[in-house]
Amino acid sequence: MTVVPIIEIRELTKYYKGNDEPAIKALSLDIFPGEIFGLLGPNGAGKTTTISILCGLFPPTRGSVLIDGMDIRHDLDKIKHVIGVVPQDLALYPTLTALENLTFFGNMYGMKGTVLKERIQECLKEFGLEKVARKQINTYSGGMKRRVNLIAGLLHRPKVLFLDEPTVGIDVQSRIFILDYLQAINKTGTTIIYTSHYMEEAENLCTRVAIVDRGSIIALGKPGELLKERPELTNLENIFLHLTGRTLRD
Amino acid sequence: MFKFFSGFRKEARILLRDKAGLTILFIMPMVLIIIMSLLQEFGYSSVTRESSIKVLFLDKDQDTLGLKIGKGLRESNFFVVVDSLDGKPLTEAIIEEAVKKGDYLIGIVIPEKVTQTIRTNVKIQVTKTLAGFGLYNPILINSLPEQKADTVTVFFDPTVKKTFKNAIVSAVKEFNYKIETEMVFKTFNQEMALVFPNYQPPPQDYQDMVVFKELFPTYKEKEEIPNSAQHNVPSWAVFAMFFIIIPFTSSMMIEREEGSLLRLQCMPVSFMNLLLSKVFVYMIVCFVQTILMMITGLYLLPLFNAVPLELGHQIGALIVVTIVIALAALGFGLMVGTVATTHQQAASFGAVSIIIMAALGGLFVPMYLMSDAMKGVAGLSPLNWALTAYYTIFLRGGGLLEVFPSIYKLILFFAISLIITFTYRTLKNPLNK
Repeated sequence: MTVVPIIEIRELTKYYKGNDEPAIKALSLDIFPGEIFGLLGPNGAGKTTTISILCGLFPPTRGSVLIDGMDIRHDLDKIKHVIGVVPQDLALYPTLTALENLTFFGNMYGMKGTVLKERIQECLKEFGLEKVARKQINTYSGGMKRRVNLIAGLLHRPKVLFLDEPTVGIDVQSRIFILDYLQAINKTGTTIIYTSHYMEEAENLCTRVAIVDRGSIIALGKPGELLKERPELTNLENIFLHLTGRTLRD
Repeated sequence: MFKFFSGFRKEARILLRDKAGLTILFIMPMVLIIIMSLLQEFGYSSVTRESSIKVLFLDKDQDTLGLKIGKGLRESNFFVVVDSLDGKPLTEAIIEEAVKKGDYLIGIVIPEKVTQTIRTNVKIQVTKTLAGFGLYNPILINSLPEQKADTVTVFFDPTVKKTFKNAIVSAVKEFNYKIETEMVFKTFNQEMALVFPNYQPPPQDYQDMVVFKELFPTYKEKEEIPNSAQHNVPSWAVFAMFFIIIPFTSSMMIEREEGSLLRLQCMPVSFMNLLLSKVFVYMIVCFVQTILMMITGLYLLPLFNAVPLELGHQIGALIVVTIVIALAALGFGLMVGTVATTHQQAASFGAVSIIIMAALGGLFVPMYLMSDAMKGVAGLSPLNWALTAYYTIFLRGGGLLEVFPSIYKLILFFAISLIITFTYRTLKNPLNK
């Protein structure tokens, strides 16, 4: 039986105004339901551009994207109901409490009443934030803010969750907690598309990775398979450096 | 709709928790109104109340002209006449020095025997006129030497505006003309009595031939004289309402820079919905701000011995105008907040553009003082339309019908701002509506 990809990207190309070089060059990729897919690459490789197009933040110059069978050019409103986004920035309102932030974002997903209240309580409990739920976000530690940031993206139980560097700048405990949680929700069927600069983290978490550089995929496969192809490179970070080079990127 | 209300709640909470921001939004305009009204109180109150511009007055004449000018100045309710400094009587040099130092704005010196000079010259002129009827020997009469006109000196501080200076000089000249005219009649009668012993001169009761009536045509039944509150409250209310684009665009830019907008753009909620909930909150802010400014005019200004605001009877029109002005201001804010790429850009462009539009719109310099070309430009400023609408209500007693031309332009401005905002956004991302 053929598994239908939950995300189908075909010949995706993006030129930014004033740039002759494309940020993404004819990128084609299938992501399947239940995967934790790592989109890895140095700065300026095209990861954020790819995720931004998938989330509908801006249109591609060429190419097509289907998410859960829906085209982003025509069905973006419907797509937004099935995706969740956890941006790298702490996209929260600092003077609102965690409860107020989550209620607002839940409402924006169309959730309300008891359903929303119970879902928020459930998430706050799981993330260990129950006791501080009524405190303003600006009183939280970096790790606590990251956890609320994550909850805001998965309140509505999305089929596909996009995470842009979800563990940047937090303590080890919070990082391990977040990674464990992602694996747990993945087991319940959520497809995760994840970008990170932490290669070890990606190697342990992702079922499949794509290494992107200068707008193109230069390696694609399960971390174990990539390592098998180049056993002398011993880990994903070495493969990454081997493929993308050691030159500093802007 | 519940997404709109959720957005409204979120915006309201953020705003209410920003205590410093709220203080600036609500208290500063009230302070501004009190200060500006008190500063301008003199200019407007001169029509109705006593004021206190001190005028140094030296009357060397001590005759009709000097006495009448002195009396006129004292009775004008416009000036306080000062005729000595530090217990010393004034001299021309002292007056010149005091005005030069900037201690006094105006000094008037009436020269010695000026009335006598006028009297002599008038007598010569009358005699010459009667000689034309053959009543005197013209050769003898023409040989009478006329005295050279005396000079009344008026010292002005260089900061005194031209219009005010002209008013003072005109007032002094007016006294002189009146006295000259009275003297002509009096001398004529005396000379006629000398020539015709049976001539009975009419009683000397010189009165103005033309009486000037000052009216302020309004739609009100009862005429009211405009006061400083009537001018200041509306103009600063308009300024404050448009200045709200600073916190408004700031709120938009913070949302964009901190990433919340990006998250919201990935959610199934329309951009229009998000922005309108923000607009609604700030519209209430504008409304409360205006109410507070009206309260300042009504109840706080009298505490500072200033004339209170007369609210009039067109409350319905006042509410509609306030809402429409707020919409126009926020529409402009939406446009600036959407098109600007950084917080600084939005704040500086927003502030400068409002100040320019306020200056052009006649908020700082009245339109009647502008050149014809600038008057044409002033008519393009939304702040001018807003001010005109308020003046129509406060000063002319107009209602909805009378303010319609201004309302219509402000609504059009709001609609155009919205169209630009959404067109710009659609061009940037045709996918995300």
